[in-house]
Formats: sequence, structure tokens, C-alpha cells
Amino acid sequence: MKYLAALDRHDMKAWLACFAEEGSYTCISRENHDAGLPVAMMLDDTHARLRDRVKFIDEVWSGTYEDYATRHFVQRFECIPGNGGRVTVRSNFIVSYTNRRGGSDILVTGVYEDDIDLSGTAARFKSKKAIMDTVTTPRYLVYPI
Amino acid sequence: MTSTPEVSVRWPAEYNVLPKEVFHRKDVYQAELAKIFYGPEWHPLAHISEIPNKGDFKTLQIGEAPVLIVHGDDGRPRVFFNSCPHRGTQLQICARGSTKEIECPYHRWLFNLRGDLIGASGMDQFEPNFRKENYGLKELRSGEFSGLIFATCSDQAPELEVFLNGTTDYLKKALGGDGRLKLIGYQKTIYGTNWKEYNDNEGYHPPLLHRAFRLLRWQGGKGSNGITEFGHKVMEAEVQQPKPGFLDDHSLVEFRDTSTPPRSVIVSFWPMTTIVKHMDVINIRYAFPLSPDDTEVHYAYYAHQDDSPELLAHRVRQASNLLGPSGFISLEDGAVFSRVHGGSRALGTVAFQKGYEGKPFQAPCFVGQNDEASNLIRWERYRQTMGFDRD
Repeated sequence: MKYLAALDRHDMKAWLACFAEEGSYTCISRENHDAGLPVAMMLDDTHARLRDRVKFIDEVWSGTYEDYATRHFVQRFECIPGNGGRVTVRSNFIVSYTNRRGGSDILVTGVYEDDIDLSGTAARFKSKKAIMDTVTTPRYLVYPI
Repeated sequence: MTSTPEVSVRWPAEYNVLPKEVFHRKDVYQAELAKIFYGPEWHPLAHISEIPNKGDFKTLQIGEAPVLIVHGDDGRPRVFFNSCPHRGTQLQICARGSTKEIECPYHRWLFNLRGDLIGASGMDQFEPNFRKENYGLKELRSGEFSGLIFATCSDQAPELEVFLNGTTDYLKKALGGDGRLKLIGYQKTIYGTNWKEYNDNEGYHPPLLHRAFRLLRWQGGKGSNGITEFGHKVMEAEVQQPKPGFLDDHSLVEFRDTSTPPRSVIVSFWPMTTIVKHMDVINIRYAFPLSPDDTEVHYAYYAHQDDSPELLAHRVRQASNLLGPSGFISLEDGAVFSRVHGGSRALGTVAFQKGYEGKPFQAPCFVGQNDEASNLIRWERYRQTMGFDRD
């Protein structure tokens, strides 16, 4: 829930705080995923990459892109406890977006596959993968999903 | 193949000035489909590494026309309209796949991989002079260079090698030297912009729009920019590697393929598709218009077949994050495309200035690396193809 709130606030530092030290994030189309093609829309496979994504959004791209509001709607449908305080969770997601002119539509929809570490004081993602059924996104993505 | 609507546009007398209305008018767009996309131009549609085996296919569009690219059982790739010659049903709906034959689901007409009609149910009750030979899939003229498959809808297009004049050295380098590529994935998006605005990207903006270059203290290397008689833009430049420091994972902007010289190569074909080799990213940007206001782009990424597992992994990481619709040094392009389109709804004209010396260019020619005015060569070709007279 913290993850969704951070993204919908565009608070990238809070987004980063949802990941463990060895955490990773992947946002990939189902077309690539199902065909075994490894290229993703965003591929942050190390914590350094996660930190760099925060830099892209907050420093590098700032002031150039057309901002858009998002709302993440997520429904967990599978939760499998593992060893050592780990749990794997799968959830459906729909993310809506609202552009500067005030129109809203669906940005992407798909499935999250999460590996979560519950052993610390706060739950953190060891890995989070957003597999997008939406192959052709209706606009370019600035923020992670 | 299609009726050509006649439209007229008032075109300014000044060589470097364009009317904004060509970015919005629906009648202009319809005429562009007929005269440019279905006219005598060639369109890159697939690299053979996307359909490496017999029976593999890919679907795409030329303009708004759906096409089917099939790797034939004789090893030859062919390009067909993705439409049953009987009643027009779309034959394949997947982006890519593999099949032994092509069957229309509506009335089960069956075609082989070369497009011949094999059989149709109830054929004895067809018109008396029905001939199977007249009902093969409509095949387009096609050709191949370095594994890149081109097609044209028009009998009037010149030979492919003529159309490619001045691009082949660049194209070869951009496609891994020998064209022996391996597909590693796609990124697909829609930009809220006219196809000509998407296409009008130039050398003036990069150090200004893309803040990453400044933050990395990343200077463009020495190079050459040219434009061919058909309006294709070619570019080759040394790659300066930025110094580590700004990014926590510097490998995003590192050049690791030691088998080729550290150079960036770009071939931007008229009217649409662009091939980019930058750092270790090998990228073809297949693009087509959806309407006057929307342009769809499929970024296809490749590795070389001889890559080590380490270089392959590096290419996948760089392809995913560097140059695509959400790429570190490219996201702002998408942002600007839609703002240009929004602004060009204001009445009037736009102008190209940087690199314009007050007189028309004579293509083919070389132009300054950070210029924009060479796009005027394309615009002149556009104006003449469309039949718009200057004031």
C-alpha cells in the first residue's frame, strides 16, 4: 500500500524505500515476457539502478515531460508464504492516468509478481515485477508502475 | 491502388517556413497515406532475426494498411497485405508467430507460406471462370538489405538499391556489421503527435533538450551528418564515454562491445523508420501513423549472434533503460513531440533556422552535426510529392 501511495504522489524517494538493499524492479510487456524476450520497459535489476531511476525522474527529466496523475488499483489474488519471512504475492493491477487537459483513461493493466521480505521492521520488495498486458502504452511512461 | 484525394495547402514562399496546418488537417493526412505511404516509397518492416525460421511471421502496418511478413518455406521472406483476397478478413492478428500455412478463419480459405491459394470450401459452386491462381495473397514488392526487409505498395517505386543510395554503408554498421542479429525484445508506445513532427527530430536539440548530456558532461564526438537524394538522414559519430560520477550504475552509458569501433550510427529513412546504433544498443524504430494526431512506434532491440553472455546481458540492460520511450536520454523526445503537436494547432507557420544559409540545399549533401535546417530537404520532397505549390 505504501508502494501505491508513493507512486500516486510521485514521491520517488518513498518508492525507493519500498525496496530491500538487494531489491530489483522490472516493468515488462507480456509480449516480451511470454516470448522469452528479456528487454523491459524499465529494468532496475540492482539497487544502484533503482537509485538512478529516482535521479532520472527527479533531476534529469524534470520540467520536460507532460506530467500526469496516476491511480493504482491493485487486487491480490495469490499469496504463498516462503522460508525466512519471505512471501511471494501475485496481484492484478490497473493504473489510470489523467492528463493536463483533465481527461482520464487506462494507462496500463497487468499482473505484479512480488517477492517480499517480511523479516525486518517494514515489508520490503526483494523483487517486484510488473508484467503489462498493455503492450502498446497509450503514452510514454515517466513513472514506474 | 487507391484513389488519390486532391487537396491544396497554401505553402509559404520562404524555403525554411512551413504551414502548421499540414500537421492537423484530416484531408492532408488522407492524401499523405495515398501519395506517400501507398506511393513510391520503400518501408522497412522487419529484420530477418524477428522471423528467423521458415513459417515465422510478423504483422505491421504501412500507413494504415495491415501487412504480413512471412518467412517462406523456400527461405525467402515475402510481404503480403494482411487481408484475405476473398472478403478482406485480417489473416493474422498476433504481432509475431509461426505457422505451417495461412488459414482465413471466416470461410477457411487456405494459403501456403508463398501466398498461393491451396483450397477453399465449396469451390465447385464459385463463378464458372474462378481460378485459384487469381486469388493468392496480394504480395507487395519487397527486398532485403543486411537482413532488413523492405516493401512498397507501388509499382512506381525505384529499385530498392536506388532508394537506399547513400545509406548502405551506415546501415551495415548500424545492423551489427554483417546483419547477423538476434532479437531481444520490443518497447511499443503511441506518441500524441503527427508523424511528420515525430520525424522532424534533428541535431540542434540534443544538448539543449536532453539534460542527461549536461549532467554527465557528455560531449558529442566528431562525426558526419548527411542527407540523401531520397531524404534519408545518415549520421556517424565517435562516441565519447562520459566520466563516471553522476549515475550509481555507470554501465548504462558504457561502451563494452570491443568488436566494433566506438561509434554511433543512425539511418533515418524517409518517410518513417529509423535505425539507431548508440553505445551498445542496436535498435530499429518501426513507426506508422494512426491518425493525424497519433503515431505508433515499435522500438525493436537486437544483440549480435556472436555476443558473449556478458555482452548480451549488457545489451539487454542498456536497451531497456537508455534510448526507448522511457529511456534515460530519450524520454524528453516523446514529451516534446506531443507539445509540438499541441502548439502547432495555433495558426500560422513554423521555421527552421539553425544551419539555414538562406538558399535551398542540394541533396545529397553533408550538413552540420547540430543543425536542423537539413530537414528542409525532406520538406521539399514532401511538398513536391504532395503537389503543394509555393506562394
